[in-house]
Amino acid sequence: MPIHEKSLIRPEKLIEHEELVIEGVDVSGHWSTFIEGRSVADYNENLQDEIAALPGGEYIHRCWQCGSCTNSCTVNAINADFNPRYWIYLIRTGMEEELLRDKDIIWQCVSCNKCTYACPRDVVPEGVMKATSHWLELKGHTPKSPSTIFDEAFSEQVISRGKIEDGLVLRNFFKRTGQPLNQPWLIAMVGGLIKRFPVFYLMKLGFATVFRPKTKGWNRARDAINEYAEEREAANRKALGLGSKGAK
Amino acid sequence: MSGPILIVGGGPSGLSAAHAAASAGRKVTLVEKEDRLGGAPILSGYAKLVPSHEWAKDAIGAMVTRVEKNPNVTVHLNAQVQEFAGEPGAFVATLKDGTKLDAESAILTTGFTHFDSINKPEWGFGTYPDVVTTTQVEQMISSGRGVRCPSDGRKPDRVAILLCVGSRDRQIGREWCSKICCTVSANLAMEIREELPDSNVYIYYMDIRTFGLMEGEFYWGSQEKYKVKYIKARIAEVTSDGKRLLVKGEDTLVKRPISIPFDMVVHAVGMDPNVDNMTISSVFGVKMNKYGFIDRQNTYTTLCETSRPGVFVAGSATGPETIDDSIAQGSAAAMAAVGFAANAVETAAE
Repeated sequence: MPIHEKSLIRPEKLIEHEELVIEGVDVSGHWSTFIEGRSVADYNENLQDEIAALPGGEYIHRCWQCGSCTNSCTVNAINADFNPRYWIYLIRTGMEEELLRDKDIIWQCVSCNKCTYACPRDVVPEGVMKATSHWLELKGHTPKSPSTIFDEAFSEQVISRGKIEDGLVLRNFFKRTGQPLNQPWLIAMVGGLIKRFPVFYLMKLGFATVFRPKTKGWNRARDAINEYAEEREAANRKALGLGSKGAK
Repeated sequence: MSGPILIVGGGPSGLSAAHAAASAGRKVTLVEKEDRLGGAPILSGYAKLVPSHEWAKDAIGAMVTRVEKNPNVTVHLNAQVQEFAGEPGAFVATLKDGTKLDAESAILTTGFTHFDSINKPEWGFGTYPDVVTTTQVEQMISSGRGVRCPSDGRKPDRVAILLCVGSRDRQIGREWCSKICCTVSANLAMEIREELPDSNVYIYYMDIRTFGLMEGEFYWGSQEKYKVKYIKARIAEVTSDGKRLLVKGEDTLVKRPISIPFDMVVHAVGMDPNVDNMTISSVFGVKMNKYGFIDRQNTYTTLCETSRPGVFVAGSATGPETIDDSIAQGSAAAMAAVGFAANAVETAAE
């Protein structure tokens, strides 16, 4: 029998069998399409603890589902599917599968923090969104966002030398995101720089590009920062039940 | 005026009324149908009381001892009033064994009956051994045996507590909120988590009514300290997949059906009118309200009065009530009875 209003059914719930016979009746093919149940079958009991273990998620347990966060949300005003109140509920009850359906929009939080000031229970929903995006990434559900990749290229240099060289940040960013270096806007900008920048500064820039200067006595700071970052990373991975990972 | 004050029922409010009236120097006759005093907390084997966290046998036990030792109080156990005749100030109560008791006034502290979960067959009580009631869990804790699945004695890994079982349900003629079950369930959830730290406890609710100061300690305390989870869903049915119980319903905040496995399902049973209320009502000539509890007159200008002058009522005989409030009402009823006698004396003197 044809299925009416097929658009209302999630595609993964529509099952066709190439060859299936049940009690002597052939139920193969399109004309015997099955619809799987859509009920939630289980809770992930660790989900709330995992989110709470990541920076920003600490106060998720306070939520009483009033919806002030969703009401005040900047992104929700544009996309009604962006619903922090709903995700907090899913996390608190452990409905992981339901949460993962929205994995491609959760990270769209713009951190305006309107929710933080609207929340009567001090849940800090903005922090929860941040922790949840982080969780999705650590668990491998979402790829690193371009901004994360940029942050990494940037902070790697700061950590290793105490200073950045903009050209290298850009080159690394483009390389890692698979973008070509000859972007028209970049060429125009560099051209403009060469034309209008005082020679002394141009030489200084060129010197930095070639020799990549370092802050004096930076090594100790670098080691301390690395140690702390590794500690945090290990703690986060442990809280999520993930194995330890080698240095990046 | 002659004769003592008759108190019917030896639970928290009866014990409180007896103590109060006796303290005011009045003679008290306390009639209890069971073989011991204490009422539901003792007879049903409650564990720790809300909100004091004191063991029922200690807290209510102390009330029992206090009354038993009072020389002004005469206790009749295994006794039921069969007839109640006479006028205010000169009643005569006849017990089932024929004993006649003079009474100047009477206080009904006849309490309630726990809702019998068998009346909600879709929730599995009586069908699956691991579906139990809050009263049974109280007994598991108070007996020291601990919370175990009745089917095989294993420690439950996952426990579901269903609220509003026998409350707020027109299907079974019980429209009232039983008032205490939310807080009692939150308290039990915390006790289960304390005894079995590896367990997970879920509470399925329609609304949470941990009223007053209990909001902080019980509703939030259970979530923040004990990681109890609250899920907004009215459960449709409890079945079994052969191994574990299957709780089905709709999570109304997610708008999605749920079908979740559990080891143990606990019914938070409500408070029914005492099953004997028809008899009590006819013996004492007092009206019942539309729900079947003993009707109480307005509380603004009268205190604990029934429809019959000289007969007072207190505690959960009048509707779902907490232990603390039952105790307070017991004292109030005693005050009313003592005042009633004094007024009568004054009127006679005029």
